[in-house]
Amino acid sequence: MAKLLHVEDLNIEFHDHLIPETVVYDFDLDMECGEIVGLVGESGSGKSMSALAIAGLLSRHDMKKRGTIQFEGKDILDCPRSELRQLQGDEICMIFQEPLTSLDPVKKIGWQVEESLKIHTQLTPQERKEKALKALADVELDDPSRVYDSYPHELSGGMRQRVMIAAATIGNPKLLIADEPTTALDVTVQSQIVDLLKKINKEKNTAILFISHDLSLVSRLCHRVLVMKNGYVVESGNVKEIFESPKEEYTKKLIEAIPKCEAKPDEKDDEVNMVEVRDVCVSFTRKKERVDVLKHVSIDIKEGEVLGLVGESGCGKSTLAKTIIGLQKPDCGTIIQKYPNTQMIFQDPYGSLNPARKVGLIMEEPLRNLTDMSPEDRRRLAEEMITKVGLTPEYLSRYPAELSGGQRQRVCIATALMLKPRLIIADEPVSALDVTIQAEVLKLMDKLHKDMGISFLFISHDLRVVHQMCDRILVMKSGEIVEEGNRNDIFMNPKHEYTKELLKSAGLTNIFV
Amino acid sequence: MKYVFKKVLSCIITLFIVSLLVFVAFSLIPGDPALSRLGTNATEQALASLRHQMGLDRPLVVRYFEWLFNALRGDFGKSYSYNMTVTSMIADKLPITLTLMLYSMVLMVIISVPLGVYASYKEGTAIDKAIQIINQITMAIPPFFSGILITLIFGMTFKMFTPGGFVNIKINPARFFGFMFFPSFAIALPKSAMVLNLLYSSLNGEKKKDYVRTAYSRGNKSKTVFFKHMLKNASIPTITFLGMALADMIAGSIIIEQVFGIPGLGRILLTSIQNRDYPVVIAIIMLIACVVIVSNLLVDIIYKLVDPRVGD
Repeated sequence: MAKLLHVEDLNIEFHDHLIPETVVYDFDLDMECGEIVGLVGESGSGKSMSALAIAGLLSRHDMKKRGTIQFEGKDILDCPRSELRQLQGDEICMIFQEPLTSLDPVKKIGWQVEESLKIHTQLTPQERKEKALKALADVELDDPSRVYDSYPHELSGGMRQRVMIAAATIGNPKLLIADEPTTALDVTVQSQIVDLLKKINKEKNTAILFISHDLSLVSRLCHRVLVMKNGYVVESGNVKEIFESPKEEYTKKLIEAIPKCEAKPDEKDDEVNMVEVRDVCVSFTRKKERVDVLKHVSIDIKEGEVLGLVGESGCGKSTLAKTIIGLQKPDCGTIIQKYPNTQMIFQDPYGSLNPARKVGLIMEEPLRNLTDMSPEDRRRLAEEMITKVGLTPEYLSRYPAELSGGQRQRVCIATALMLKPRLIIADEPVSALDVTIQAEVLKLMDKLHKDMGISFLFISHDLRVVHQMCDRILVMKSGEIVEEGNRNDIFMNPKHEYTKELLKSAGLTNIFV
Repeated sequence: MKYVFKKVLSCIITLFIVSLLVFVAFSLIPGDPALSRLGTNATEQALASLRHQMGLDRPLVVRYFEWLFNALRGDFGKSYSYNMTVTSMIADKLPITLTLMLYSMVLMVIISVPLGVYASYKEGTAIDKAIQIINQITMAIPPFFSGILITLIFGMTFKMFTPGGFVNIKINPARFFGFMFFPSFAIALPKSAMVLNLLYSSLNGEKKKDYVRTAYSRGNKSKTVFFKHMLKNASIPTITFLGMALADMIAGSIIIEQVFGIPGLGRILLTSIQNRDYPVVIAIIMLIACVVIVSNLLVDIIYKLVDPRVGD
């Protein structure tokens, strides 16, 4: 039997600079029908490039590809686009990372789901609609006919990704390439999408190439896995073997970087509240309807602790953070802070730094606004703080665009340190970062906590990260704190149904048993 | 439908506020229309009786509502300088200016949209670069200057039209439209360059979007991706600009009317301002405001049709 997919010695080079830059070296991959192969690695490791090349979507002029890509014996690397088109959307389909931007914003969902049928089949509009409705129902969307007539902006992130899957599987492709399909989604939704892919694989015998940097998802879904680093496949083999006995240093590092959930002793603190939030309500008016975002929330943040706040997006986590820091005025309730200058770190280190200003100027900004320090003192403090976060003072004269994601988040943390706060609120500080960089930033925050005695309110949807970082955890759902407790209580003995559900979707049930 | 109703309502309110502002402003501007009509030698008595005759001695509020009530029925009062009603003075000039404006608008769309789409479709080729260079030059030329150039080139050199030889539409429609092409072209030219540039760069911006990659992954032809997916998305910022350009064109046409010697609203507006003939000035300002507001309303409605994300 001919292999479904045969890739041999695939090399991809960019020619946009004077010296050509190779992004993928000697990539080999064989896939059989119905197989699920994982492709893991950090951003920039070449995994998406390889996948796009297989899907025939790398066709930039400044890019050279060498090697062989055969799909069912047909060479697709060098064939013209007119022939490639016959396979795309029919035999080979793709799902992308960003379900929001990957759908055409001005076309109805139905139109987009049917599009590949329009291109590849002779079905009548009525038949196409029937198939599309069935595909939407197959991906477990409630009310497919409503979704059919909706526009992308009217759906949630999870629903959009389901739509993408429906559109990709409507023609029963033989190969489905999923490029980080869950990265932009909430943890409960992530798990549902993975289950859905499993179901499609089982029912339709679709082979799946699953690209991700989340090793725990890969281990749940895939049969085989390829680990990529700097354009090379450094290790490949059976998922179980790789996870249990990784051979390469890099694979070990990737596996270690998954935040571990080991039972740690609960540390007793001297129980002094530094922030008291009492009975706070916040509501917004959206389309003339009142939406209660926070419903009588009361929390304490104790001195010297790292408090975790978990919940899905839209549950009010960020609003609570903004309310504590004073960016959002509460409708009712009180907030008492023992110390001034509470600082905040945001999720997106790309968006939260002004691209037109140098790092030094960004860091000095709070001092210029709030103190009458001399420029020399400000500069000296900036140098001190940037050293504290593990960068050198030279970074002060760089622009944000010249820094990597991890470095930017370090700059954000250094900026927060400038006013010498006692409490830092970190709103999803690592969810936009790669897993190894994530581990470094978490380590830095832990160090600041221990060395400088800074307390953190740590907001995240990633329970593993929260478990690693936090002493005490609050679980939030639809604007209410549903459970509160020490780390070990929450993880080992969750009481509320919602907490159990969160742990289950993160694959953390029975982890200590 | 509710959206349209809301927009229309807000237009009416805007027009009402504009009328109030304009009326009050012209009542507060120093300068007495009665004085300017009778000259500095007039006696106090003569001035007072003229003011009474013109209704200027009554309270502002009363005068405003009287004016508003009449204006709604199409009566903008009597000119101070000429013994004519404002309506009859404007009536035959308005269609000329409106024609000039719409003509320029049509020319602008005809010139810019196909060229912008073509340049973006052929991005990076020699033809794309040629369009870009010509575009840069055109964009920098103000309408009055392009008007002078057009008169010089097409009027004086090639004798394609007679400069200053305006023909009324009632006398010879074909020659009217033939003549009007040139001033309209002068107005449209720099604006087309801007629309072209905007459409071109938004189309090129769309090329890098994720949904375009999705469209390719379904096996679409490049042409289909370009025309079925990208064009509609890229047209959204362009439509906004078209609305602004339309409002701007009325100002352009007032200047161009002077260059080409067209008896439109521009000429009476200028003489009326010089003569402090306020009823005429107010009426013209209100007409301009109407045109601007209605064109914005149209843009809003088109916008809603193109982009489902707009207001719900």
